[in-house]
Amino acid sequence: MARSQTPPAARHTPLLPLPLVERLLSIGMARGADFAEVYVERNTSTAVTLDEQKVKSAQSGLSQGVGVRVIAGAKVGYAYSDDLDPEALERAAKTASFIASGGGSDKSFSVAPVPKPTFYRLPTHLEDVAVADKRELVVRVSKAAHAYDKRVKQVMSTYADSTKRVLVANTNGLLSEDTQDLCRISAHVVAEGKKGERRSGTYGGGGRVPFSHFDVFTPELVAREAARQAIATLGAVDTQAGQQTVVLAPGWSGILLHEAVGHGLEADFIRKGTSLFTGKLGQKVASEHVTVIDDGTMANARGSLNVDDEGAPTEFKVLIEKGVLKGYLTDALNAKLMGTRSTGSGRRESFKHLPLPRMTNTYLAPGQHDPEEILKSVDSGVYCANFGGGQVDITNGNFVFEVNEAYEIRKGKLGKPLKGATLIGVGPEALKKVSMVGNDPLPDPGMGTCGKDGQSVPVGVGLPTVRIDDMTVGGTRVGGGK
Amino acid sequence: MNVEAMAKKLLARAKKKGAQQAEVFIETGREASVRVRDGEIQDLTQATSKGVGIRAFVKNRLGFAWTSDFTPSVLESFVDRAVALAEASAPNPLNGLPDRALLKGHPDVGALYDPEVANLRPEWKIEAALAMEKAGKAVDRRIKTFESVGAGESVSEVYLASSEGFAGGYSGTYVYAYAVPVAAEGEQLQTSYWTDTKRFFKDLDDPEGIGQEAARRALRMLGASKVKSQKVPVVFDPMMAASFVGIIAGAANGDSVFKKSSFLAGKLGATIAPKHVTIVDDGLLPRGVATSPFDGEGVPTRKTPLVQQGVLEAYLYDAFTARKAKAKSTGNAARGYRTLPHIGTNNLYLEAGERSPESIIKDIPSGLYVTAMLGHGANLVTGEFSRGANGMWIENGQLTRPVQEVTVAGHLLDMLQKLDAVGNDLTFRGSTAAPTIRFSELTVSGA
Repeated sequence: MARSQTPPAARHTPLLPLPLVERLLSIGMARGADFAEVYVERNTSTAVTLDEQKVKSAQSGLSQGVGVRVIAGAKVGYAYSDDLDPEALERAAKTASFIASGGGSDKSFSVAPVPKPTFYRLPTHLEDVAVADKRELVVRVSKAAHAYDKRVKQVMSTYADSTKRVLVANTNGLLSEDTQDLCRISAHVVAEGKKGERRSGTYGGGGRVPFSHFDVFTPELVAREAARQAIATLGAVDTQAGQQTVVLAPGWSGILLHEAVGHGLEADFIRKGTSLFTGKLGQKVASEHVTVIDDGTMANARGSLNVDDEGAPTEFKVLIEKGVLKGYLTDALNAKLMGTRSTGSGRRESFKHLPLPRMTNTYLAPGQHDPEEILKSVDSGVYCANFGGGQVDITNGNFVFEVNEAYEIRKGKLGKPLKGATLIGVGPEALKKVSMVGNDPLPDPGMGTCGKDGQSVPVGVGLPTVRIDDMTVGGTRVGGGK
Repeated sequence: MNVEAMAKKLLARAKKKGAQQAEVFIETGREASVRVRDGEIQDLTQATSKGVGIRAFVKNRLGFAWTSDFTPSVLESFVDRAVALAEASAPNPLNGLPDRALLKGHPDVGALYDPEVANLRPEWKIEAALAMEKAGKAVDRRIKTFESVGAGESVSEVYLASSEGFAGGYSGTYVYAYAVPVAAEGEQLQTSYWTDTKRFFKDLDDPEGIGQEAARRALRMLGASKVKSQKVPVVFDPMMAASFVGIIAGAANGDSVFKKSSFLAGKLGATIAPKHVTIVDDGLLPRGVATSPFDGEGVPTRKTPLVQQGVLEAYLYDAFTARKAKAKSTGNAARGYRTLPHIGTNNLYLEAGERSPESIIKDIPSGLYVTAMLGHGANLVTGEFSRGANGMWIENGQLTRPVQEVTVAGHLLDMLQKLDAVGNDLTFRGSTAAPTIRFSELTVSGA
């Protein structure tokens, strides 16, 4: 991957005057804390939505503010303000400082920029692209989806982007600035079949990409895929409930990996002992076919960051190698408390939130098998072509997924579409049942958002075709053989 | 800052810039929260926040802009931006603010603001969180730790003004406490949670009780395993029943219904459930967490029975959707300063029935009592419902052993018809509530 360096002395006006930043750090430390940090954010966003063949609204917003974090031992004081007035910010820093109980220190701190790599550099920031061009995308989605098939009855489409500027400074002298553009186009299509049967399809994508991305990842492509899903699932039959062999289609199915294993490797859960993966470093936690990577450095990917929200560089991290647990995802605080180093995984939704260890782009490394060969190997099972949402309970490892587009597998071939299928399992157990991994790795198109502790951050996922034996499939049909 | 004067100025500028109609929605507030761990503060957060959203209509086109920066020049530029954005939208004759006639007759909803919450001692939340943690751990030594345990309060003010002559605001308070303990035995870890959110301090559950209940719920899950796939009676505890009611209300969204993207479309006036099922959206509920005098567009809130004794009586509307569907706004425009009005629920509940939760379980020979669910799991277009479930297995009318890694599935219309028992245990712990409910038969998928 190309790593170009931004010159540290690039000339621009920082989001907040540096002397003020340094003063806030000093106020934060006034009661004898161990560490203080200032996070400044200015985020402009635009969205255009289309519904019932009309552009319903165009909107734009600005959110800006400062969060001051002070750490004393394992205790964290946090205060934020959307008022950038120095007095309001000094008040916030003082509020955060009260987490420490000492006093009398008026030490001053200075910060200096550190060089950072660039994994996304846009010729034009998304905030500077004309709204008319953004509107055009959703209009084209609507037209193409309706043109795809007469049975398409409803199309909703949204284009959304943001240009987020951040500055992080801390009492270790770090000063880091970044501009993070992010955009996504999406289509939701409802098709109507016989007897009023309605099925829906959803597709979309984007990333930290220039607006010209949509010359290649066209609105027509997005529309057709969403429409295809809706049409393909018309006439779906009830899903057989119980344990079955499942095959996951490549790409977005990686969300299963994100839920089933990724969250359980986040260091806050590990430090508190609330994850099933606690204390399992070096142990076999998955089948030998499973190698899991979290990579915040993928060019232009939705989950990538030049630096995390604590100013640490993101990394290419092998979490599980051939089934053996190799590492956790750490932010600075958990790393310190666990006696390890940050993996550049400290992320926050905005200045209103404390950083948490989070995933970036998480994917399963490719294996040996041809996807055709994997499908052929299954006598009877379920093919999961497209997932909806998923969720995991970190503590007991239970995860669940809705499969929006599923097909029965009969003697190695795809059969009828299935309705209302759900996958459920326990993370580490499911990973042990991965029996074949395809040679067709595929990142998702850039549409994932991950929620944790009420904070949403953009993420990427990816997966080649995968066969998992004995997964519990939720459905409405019971009996009638396996 | 004077929000009235600010709103007036912004409305005047919008008109001057070419908007036929404009509306300003201002939110201001402060919040404080704490989480504790092992008898100490884990983190303590305090903040103030504010924001304004501006809707502008230019020749039936809608533009929307919002900002948290109240510098006068920035505010003006965002009014201009809202007007400019309207130019990028398509004209729609149905667009526009609610008619003047709709913006009248605001009900007296009683107090929403509790001075006791607004003036809580900063130490209260720390003491409450520590008390929950201590009480939870004292229940059993297998409560090793907490995933999260905390408390907090917030004070907020909403002000709405429009070119249609509406201007009004209200202040509200919230106070909450929650506990997410972890029970450990052998290799297995189990968790659960218990929480309460209220507008008034006196209404809030005792923190120790919250910690203990959360601990008991986590403990009884230890040793959980899956069961065989089968069709059995399934009971949802009040928390899960509330989430079911939320799904039904989601399907009663007037916009989805209009577009036939809801399985409840075309069912108005039909009997969709047994007589003992009454589901109500109530914006007027005294001391309710989601009670307010008007919705996000200034339309008075009201009490709307969605399902009355089994009959589907109403869908939920905001002003735009009501115009589109030739219906009336039900005062269900949800709003934040960063979002356009959209249909949401106020206080939502399933009316209590006659039966005790024990008696509902007692006549089940074999079935599942669900206490936690995973996943979104409901397709509102088709009505298919399938969610991951945890809970207790029912054998001969008794809760016997813990169950995990199964799903419960059915079709929502069929589930409503099969809702054969409603408990008498309705308690609000937030804005959506329901008593214990039973479905005569659902598919449980497991081994």
